[in-house]
Amino acid sequence: MATLNIIRACSVPVFRHSLKKLLIGREPFILSHTGANTLCKRASPTVTFQRFYAVATEKKVFQRDKPHCNVGTIGHVDHGKTTLTAAITKVLSDKELAKAKAYADIDNAPEEKARGITINVAHIEYSTDSRHYGHTDCPGHADYIKNMITGTSQMDGAILVVAATDGAMPQTREHLLLAKQIGINHMVVFINKVDAADQEMVELVEMEIRELLTEMGYDGDNLPIVKGSALCALEGKNPEIGSEAVMKLLEAVDTSIPTPIRELDKPFMMPVEGVYSIPGRGTVVTGRLERGTLKKGQDAEFVGHNKVIKSTVTGVEMFHQILEEAHAGDQVGALVRGVKREDVKRGMILCKPGTLKFVDNVEGQVYVLTKEEGGRSRPFMSFAQMQMFSKTWDMPIRVQIPDKEMIMPGEDARLQIQLFKPMVLEQGQRFTIRDGSTTLGTGVITKVLPKLSEVERSLLTEGKKAREKYLASQKEKQEKKK
Amino acid sequence: MQRLLHSSAPLWASLDKAMLGKLRKKTGYTFSNCKKALEVCGNDIAKAEEWLHEQAKALGWAKANKLEGRATAQGLVGVASDSSCVAMVEVNCETDFVARNKTFRSLVERVAAACLNHGKTLPQDNLTKSFLSADQLKTVPCGKEGGPLADHVALAIGSVGENLSLRRCALLQAPPRSAVHLSGYTHPAENSLGVGPVLCGRYGALVAFKATLDSAPKTQILGRQLCQHIVGMCPERIGDPEKDSPNPDTDSESVLIFQEFLLDVNQTVGNVLEEHDASILDFVRFECGEAC
Ligand SMILES: Nc1nc2c(ncn2[C@@H]2O[C@H](COP(=O)(O)OP(=O)(O)OP(=O)(O)O)[C@@H](O)[C@H]2O)c(=O)[nH]1
Ligand SMILES: [Mg+2]
Repeated sequence: MATLNIIRACSVPVFRHSLKKLLIGREPFILSHTGANTLCKRASPTVTFQRFYAVATEKKVFQRDKPHCNVGTIGHVDHGKTTLTAAITKVLSDKELAKAKAYADIDNAPEEKARGITINVAHIEYSTDSRHYGHTDCPGHADYIKNMITGTSQMDGAILVVAATDGAMPQTREHLLLAKQIGINHMVVFINKVDAADQEMVELVEMEIRELLTEMGYDGDNLPIVKGSALCALEGKNPEIGSEAVMKLLEAVDTSIPTPIRELDKPFMMPVEGVYSIPGRGTVVTGRLERGTLKKGQDAEFVGHNKVIKSTVTGVEMFHQILEEAHAGDQVGALVRGVKREDVKRGMILCKPGTLKFVDNVEGQVYVLTKEEGGRSRPFMSFAQMQMFSKTWDMPIRVQIPDKEMIMPGEDARLQIQLFKPMVLEQGQRFTIRDGSTTLGTGVITKVLPKLSEVERSLLTEGKKAREKYLASQKEKQEKKK
Repeated sequence: MQRLLHSSAPLWASLDKAMLGKLRKKTGYTFSNCKKALEVCGNDIAKAEEWLHEQAKALGWAKANKLEGRATAQGLVGVASDSSCVAMVEVNCETDFVARNKTFRSLVERVAAACLNHGKTLPQDNLTKSFLSADQLKTVPCGKEGGPLADHVALAIGSVGENLSLRRCALLQAPPRSAVHLSGYTHPAENSLGVGPVLCGRYGALVAFKATLDSAPKTQILGRQLCQHIVGMCPERIGDPEKDSPNPDTDSESVLIFQEFLLDVNQTVGNVLEEHDASILDFVRFECGEAC
């Protein structure tokens, strides 16, 4: 259930209630031009207050007016990921940009549950002069994977830690490979433990790492590599390889990991939660604006359920007020022109024309829940039919497991997903998969695949026999060609 | 740069950096170890390499002692099989990163193959199921390379830098030319190195069954499917249709013959066996890291 709650977290009952009351209740939907103007003026302070309030509750040392960026430490066992994380907070706390965290606090981060899944991960926050950071440090590979897939905090870039005494080790390689697969494209390297190594050794490690980075598809020749000792920084010794190296690392992070585009700065997008018909006014759709800003007069389209419907936004409102402009994060109602109530369905996405596409064939990485996490005890097989939930929609799907014969509970795997009807799905979008009332797994879209052909689509609902017959005939055809 | 912990800095200064790079690239041992090797062998790269390989065992032991206390909950289940014997082993490591690395995987493959060989030396008049404990496993000789398995584990510890341990082994043996078929399976069913007939995964199952199928490949497929079912559905025992009765809640059925067949939920395992005129004689299931 927790999963469903999160997916639909946008439909906060209070909001919903007031919106409904506003939209279909006795109060008229005020949209006369003069009225709108005065109301806008009245409405804005409320909204400003809302946003102001959110800022005011933040802890003081962290200045939320700085752009935010998510990073994390990755690398071989014992190379110093946790020590470095602690050292960063220590060095920045001296500048009052972070609260110092002890090594033990980070390493024994309490288990957290994201969408019902247990993950061991430490979330640390700190600021540099130019940015605010969320930083994650995971104790093990499974936690790392779960964290990436369930998306409690996606990394915009990673800090790869390599001990100068060892060089790149097998898990350095594996971590890099994983990071690349999951789409972490920005990397900064910290060569650690230089206090226990020689200059020559450090240089060789740098060469080796650059080579490895290039092999893994990163820009190995140009990525910033900083050398130092996390332990010295943590213990406040030898500042030239300690705290100064950490500051240099942070500078490299500041400059080479780009700030992610804020949701607010993206083209507008709102998954439709409810559709209402207001007599004398027209159709109103409600939902949480996820990206961009929504204004009166904007051209828009509804995408999903295999349809694209063009429209124009003729009014935007929040709570009982008409708004000049709604921002990403706002729960809004939008009056739309030229669409009937029955044309639009929950789960469609209202967006800037041409910015989103519906798709029916995707690839994702999923984590299958264990029984203890609310999943099933039996494995997940290819060609199973289930229900996919994402944004405000749900749709029957069929899955295939390309790399394994089955996925056991607690495992993650690549999954090919075919939707019975095309819906909006983008790379990086999160989803859950359910069977009846049980959540089986949760995942992230890694790739959009070519649209299904008519035959493939019709086979979706067919049983094993028809599918095998089709595959056999395809094979025959191919052999004949040869 | 400071050279703090470095006592032999003057000696090192004379060492050739290129040589260190070369040795590291060639052997894959950590930079620290490569450097030591060059120091000990007076910059003779061939000698240094030899020294490293020799030391690796000793270094492995040293590392094993230091790492001994650490919990080893991750790892792999390896299955090696031939017509008269199947062996399933579990080898543990600390992190699943290591569980996925090649050095570790090849160790598991060697351990499974060694256990299979060991199993074949045991007398086999009837279908027998036997287990080897962690201590027994240490002394099992390792085929071609020689030496007890414990030595090979120590060597691998030196190279992956984590504590590793041999946990357990199960063997099923069938008398030669009997009607009993043996089958083994792991999930994920990977054989990444492509070396020999050993499978490695996080789960494994062995099954001994009788069947009268018209071809060997069909028998193999049935054996494999039964193993996959056992891995996926985790039955507790085989069950007897005369004495046992199905659990009214099919989802928590733990008797193998009454379980829904994993590969076709419209049938029970009992139905599938009947259809093939087959019967299951014995099975073993391992899940990596489970209590046993
Ligand atoms: N000499 C030296 N030792 C260090 C340095 N940084 C970390 N260490 C030591 O290396 C060991 C491992 O450090 P951790 O920070 O736990 O490493 P980790 O990468 O988080 O390890 P896992 O979480 O187990 O993968 C500890 O004993 C640290 O004290 C350093 O700069 N110099
Ligand atoms: Mg750590």
